[in-house]
Amino acid sequence: MKPTSHPHTWAIIGASGFIGLRALEGLHDRDGVTVRPVVRAAASLAVLARRRLDWRIADPRDLPALTDALRGCTVCIHAALGDPFQIEQMATIAYQACAAASVRRLVWLSSASVHGQNPAPGTDESSPIHDRHLLAYNNAKVRAERRLEKLSSDGRVEVVRLRPGVVIGPRSRWLTDTAADLRANRAGWLDEGRGVCNSIHADNLVHALRLAATVPAAAGHAFLVGDTEPVTWRDFFLPIAAHLGLPATAFAPATPAALVAKREPALAALTQSRLYQNLGDRVPERTKRLVKALAAAWPDPAPAHDAWTLSRPPASQLTLEQTLLQSCSWKLPHTKAASLLGYAPPVPFAKGLAASLAWLDFAEGPR
Amino acid sequence: MIAPSSPVAIALVGCGSVSRLFYQPALRELRRHGLVNILAVVDPRADARNTLAAALGAAACTTLDEALALRPELVVIATPPAMHRAQAEAALAADCAVLCEKPLAAISVDADAIVTAASRSGRLLAAGHYKRFMPAHRALKTFIERETFGPLLDATLVEGGKFSWPAATDSFFQREQTPGGVLLDIGVHTLDLLRWWLGDPVDFTYADDALDGLEANALLSATFTSDANIRLRLSRDWRTENVYVFRFARATIHSRVNASNQLEITLEGLPMTLAAELREPLPGRPAPPTRALDKNPQAFIAQLVDVCAAIRESRAPFVPGIEGAHALRWVEACYNRRTPLPLH
Repeated sequence: MKPTSHPHTWAIIGASGFIGLRALEGLHDRDGVTVRPVVRAAASLAVLARRRLDWRIADPRDLPALTDALRGCTVCIHAALGDPFQIEQMATIAYQACAAASVRRLVWLSSASVHGQNPAPGTDESSPIHDRHLLAYNNAKVRAERRLEKLSSDGRVEVVRLRPGVVIGPRSRWLTDTAADLRANRAGWLDEGRGVCNSIHADNLVHALRLAATVPAAAGHAFLVGDTEPVTWRDFFLPIAAHLGLPATAFAPATPAALVAKREPALAALTQSRLYQNLGDRVPERTKRLVKALAAAWPDPAPAHDAWTLSRPPASQLTLEQTLLQSCSWKLPHTKAASLLGYAPPVPFAKGLAASLAWLDFAEGPR
Repeated sequence: MIAPSSPVAIALVGCGSVSRLFYQPALRELRRHGLVNILAVVDPRADARNTLAAALGAAACTTLDEALALRPELVVIATPPAMHRAQAEAALAADCAVLCEKPLAAISVDADAIVTAASRSGRLLAAGHYKRFMPAHRALKTFIERETFGPLLDATLVEGGKFSWPAATDSFFQREQTPGGVLLDIGVHTLDLLRWWLGDPVDFTYADDALDGLEANALLSATFTSDANIRLRLSRDWRTENVYVFRFARATIHSRVNASNQLEITLEGLPMTLAAELREPLPGRPAPPTRALDKNPQAFIAQLVDVCAAIRESRAPFVPGIEGAHALRWVEACYNRRTPLPLH
């Protein structure tokens, strides 16, 4: 149960992202571990460069480059983001690169969404997972896990899969998007936020990553990880509103919006189409990001406005993902992680949220 | 700005992102107007050099010496800061005028050496602080100096966002090659503007989040002889509002970063904000709308026009090299007074 000491180099793929960066801050130079960040492009080093690090620049879908980047590492934590197609592709390449570079263990950051955003009561790691979810992201995470399970049957690399839920902390989109919606007077909730929020503070996730990297018995397993406390969306939303000086009524009752619900799966499905996959490696990453951002930001059809229309704030409209998440009634357990890994979340939810709000003040300026 | 009477022969040193994204379109436009003749581009990297040379119809040179042999009148230096001193000194020694991108050098000792070399050679040295050419910034200078809306009470400047500059290599983030983070990168422009608007600071405090590397977030608080308190926040970590807010006695003015010809003015007692596009002045009689003043790229071009005109007219440029040295010295003073920012 007690983690073994590994005075080694650990690679973090996607080290400039929200979770990757937090993991680097929490793991580097502690317990004999040196972290080697691996990022896609030089521009991703802007925040990492606050400290002198032995970084590598490698596309996580470029097997030779990634293999080179991982040489000399004993552990690889994969925290890179991608669209559904890339998620599956990255799983295969990460495993192959780890094997080629003689990395002992690959810690794959999966997601609780392999069980869906609104899992059935009783769901835990033993529950079967499927790739027929409404959200393509969920299906990609499921297929990525399956690929890793199949690949690791050759025994060349130990694979541990972590399934966090809603990760909060500094730079968390859940925090910043909620604050932005509140500021723009477009925040909404279902059933006054009484749904279960399967939250996990980023530092609790880092704690789980450390254990997943070091506990021998973890190899081959998937673990759900979360905060200790049962948390509702209301518990998450209201302190943010209060911090911004807003009452609970700042959240308007929202109903699932069909228009938004249709677009998300359509966009995700596009990334899994044969055409997109064929183009995938030939279209520059920057262009793809731009196209996706434009598509996501493209306004829904709205009634034409003219001078005879009174201006009003946009109506609250939840995305399909938000709708499913806020409908959740089951707190995913982390009993297995506690038992096999010794996972005991060190950061209480309220304390973690307060610290995240302090970061929000710093990052986005005074209220 | 007065156009030079004959094209100025130019060599562009450095074929990285700033040359590709800024100098390439600017120089092409100036050549279209007959203001410049682009003799050569210089870069040790063949692909970068050849691509830009083809785009500009210029000779592709591996070294500065090769370009200097073509006898340019103006050498534009757009290389990493650590290379500026040697390149500027070589160009000045070859009797060329120099326009050096910001920061003028990696360290102020080198910047001073460049200024001294220019003085000794009698050649023009201009610092690439093109943001002084933005009409909104010129208007702000007028408002501050003439107290158009009363004295300046305070100002809050927030600038930056997630870093997205298409850096070709990681040299931008290695202390040995680039001795500063966000303050040296985008902050040197802002400090130059503050000095231009308000003079040298009387006092200041500075904090950033560098550990043993380069800062991604920085906070500066400064006072000036006018008693105005200035607070500056810079980030290449997280989105900011990207706006400078000036609070005068009778008005508050928002100047959006890089919105070169726009200002938002909220007059005291008027429950609304005027979102203004800055245009050529109207006469005091009925007249059609006038031409809009320079946008951001046009302000960049305006600096090149000014430098070319200054060469032809044997006058100092609008932003002489010494101003770049002053801005860099303030940056260094900030680093010397640095206190740590919490990392959260």
